[in-house]
Amino acid sequence: LDRKRITLLGVGGIAAVVIAITAFSIGDNLTYYFYPTEAVERRAEFSDGQRFRLAGLVKSGTLTGSAGSLEFTVTDGGAEIQVRHTGAVPPLFEECVPVLVEGSWEGDVFASDSAVIRHEENYEVPDEAGTLPSC
Amino acid sequence: MLAFLGTLGIVVALVGSVLLVARGVRVARGSGGADLSGPTKLMVAGSVVGMAAMQIALATDDFSIAYLANNHARSTPFPFDVATAWAALEGSILLWGLVLAGFTWMVFTAYRHGPDRLGAAALAVMGVVGVFFFGLMTTVANPFEVCVAAAERGCLMSSPFPWASVDAPIDGRGPNPLLQNHIFMAVHPPLLYLGYVGLTAPFAYAIAALAVGVPGPEWLRRSQRATLIAWTFLTLGIVIGSWWAYEVLSWGGYWAWDPVENASFMPWLVATAFLHSALVQQRRGMLQAWNFILVISAFAFTILGTFITRSGTIASVHSFTQSAIGPALLGFLVVVLVGSFTLFAQRAHVVASSPRIERWVSREGTFLANNLILTLFAFVVLVGTMFPIILEAVTGTRVGVRGPFFNRLSVPLSFLLLLLIGIGPVTPWAGAAPGLVWKRTRGPLVAGLVAGLLTALAVTRNGWVVVTVVLGVFVIATTASLLWIQAARRRPKTGETVVASIKKVLGGDARFWSGQLSHVGVVLVALGIAFAGNLSQHTEVVMEPGDTVTFAGHTITYRSPFQQNLPSRLSTGVRLEVKRPDGSTTVLEPRHNFYTGHPNGVATPSVDTRPGGDLYTMLIAIDGGTATIELDTSPLMWVLWLGGLTTAAGGALSYRNRRQERKLVEREAVGV
Repeated sequence: LDRKRITLLGVGGIAAVVIAITAFSIGDNLTYYFYPTEAVERRAEFSDGQRFRLAGLVKSGTLTGSAGSLEFTVTDGGAEIQVRHTGAVPPLFEECVPVLVEGSWEGDVFASDSAVIRHEENYEVPDEAGTLPSC
Repeated sequence: MLAFLGTLGIVVALVGSVLLVARGVRVARGSGGADLSGPTKLMVAGSVVGMAAMQIALATDDFSIAYLANNHARSTPFPFDVATAWAALEGSILLWGLVLAGFTWMVFTAYRHGPDRLGAAALAVMGVVGVFFFGLMTTVANPFEVCVAAAERGCLMSSPFPWASVDAPIDGRGPNPLLQNHIFMAVHPPLLYLGYVGLTAPFAYAIAALAVGVPGPEWLRRSQRATLIAWTFLTLGIVIGSWWAYEVLSWGGYWAWDPVENASFMPWLVATAFLHSALVQQRRGMLQAWNFILVISAFAFTILGTFITRSGTIASVHSFTQSAIGPALLGFLVVVLVGSFTLFAQRAHVVASSPRIERWVSREGTFLANNLILTLFAFVVLVGTMFPIILEAVTGTRVGVRGPFFNRLSVPLSFLLLLLIGIGPVTPWAGAAPGLVWKRTRGPLVAGLVAGLLTALAVTRNGWVVVTVVLGVFVIATTASLLWIQAARRRPKTGETVVASIKKVLGGDARFWSGQLSHVGVVLVALGIAFAGNLSQHTEVVMEPGDTVTFAGHTITYRSPFQQNLPSRLSTGVRLEVKRPDGSTTVLEPRHNFYTGHPNGVATPSVDTRPGGDLYTMLIAIDGGTATIELDTSPLMWVLWLGGLTTAAGGALSYRNRRQERKLVEREAVGV
């Protein structure tokens, strides 16, 4: 083996290891996220306690409680899911805003402990026309 | 009126860009002409007029322009009214154009009006990029569309023709509340754009060198100024951006591996690799082809970053098609990648023939290793950022990538980088006996291990923190001992004082030592991340006025709720009296700010920064007098900011020294 091959093998080897680790660890660190319709359809696949993200609009008139124990309904125009949210509330959170909550099923209720508002670079709430109903 | 002026400016800049491409190509081909000042001046003047028109419009509350109707309000205070010019899509492209014109001017000042085919071709490439961005402004991202159907606040319908009959609202919607909440948000986009757009200049020189067939490091030498400016501002922009996230975004964090953050970090990683590999080519003639690849990638990452942040893709793939800006940027990215790499494949053999690295234990060897790690780092971030977008686009399955994915790989890669930062600078160019490197790093390694041991005994057993301390102290000790040894070697000959000899060493190779300053900055950042990330505490409390809680050595008393009225906002908050662990006291006022025209408040944390760390308080909710408050401590948080600023300062110093060196060379050349 000449020097060039050794170099290539070394560099290629390190790169291959990192790429392999990347490929494997991304699988462990994915969370699915569903709109309520899909979440209801695939209820059977996600047992209580198995985490995923739920995306949708905070339905108008359903926001009750205060920070630390909020309750609201998330909808995509089809299905509606009752969310019980513990944990911090992100800026811009209110009714009629698209949210992404992470947590798991607790019976018919989705228990979430983290919520984000999907925002674009202007930190404006995106207008997901075509996906979500108008509020 | 101002819409006319602004549109005129953009059109003039577009015409200038087109002319610059046409004439630049002609000059580069050697088929006549040499004067490129006209088109360059048109481009610069047009973009300056555009931004000036925007600023005047903002200062005079001209809501006939749709951009202002939707993003500005009469009550927007200074300096946020100025910053509104780049707060939303169209305005940010306007700023992009202005910065691009500035860098084009910089390329132009280096252009020699004789037979300078490289410079002419580089200007032509700047022109191509200009055509794209000024083209965007005249089509899909026009900042000077006039409002033809006003809403109560804001604009419902707009027209690109400034002579259309205007229907201006009485007041505008005002900038997004988050943008008005902190001065950092106003300044960090221009910083980032100076970084992003600055990388166009080295890209232009690289493409020019390939197209014209100019071998050697000439293109690197010429683009060095822009590269250093770009890198310094990109660094600064990232630091200020994460500082802003910490002070405003109210999750107590400064970095979330959010796509918007990653978009700025990926070009930084590649640009950092490029700074090092460019040095290898200049000193040893190696890595010539690699430098082309890096600089093309860095530029492509800036376009990708703009695509990620500006196309709406991160919010949802479905919003991608809502605006033509996304497809336009994606198309441009494809053109850049395909065009550049095709050119590279065809022409690389003409301009890039590097000698091989002879010995791995050499400065260039460590630089190559650093390049490998930085590139892999960028690759990991790229995968984590783009995977969800591509998966959703292809299969429709929506997924998110969690932070641990990034941390799992970035932490070991960062440790390797720190190790190399320690070893590289004490390893001579062209190769050294392994014994020499060991001799130079032995002492610092012991220092690092001792510091790690002390940390483990006295502060924390957290393994990540201890390893970071070991490596950090190792790097700083190698740098310091190198400085000390060189200074000590001078003294017997010159009889200088200690301070004078250190100054002489620093001044003797100022560029090397500016680089070392950046390295120290990176170490501080690593330490800040390790401490804040692993040793922070967090709690949430519900308090009534008069209640007292103790948290991490602080005694916190909730005095009273308060309200505050400013012209642009209403604040509701709580007044907290804090007794620090050392017995001193302070008052913190976390609050919610409500901005005119925006019903929902912005939670604004209040932070007490002390040498030992920060106490971070955030008002989650207030109901009557009952307040829900989040409390965090982040040890050594200021070290992170100091480190980031130090890293940028190293870049700035390097730039200054480069200028001094050049003057020196010029003076020598004329025999003064």
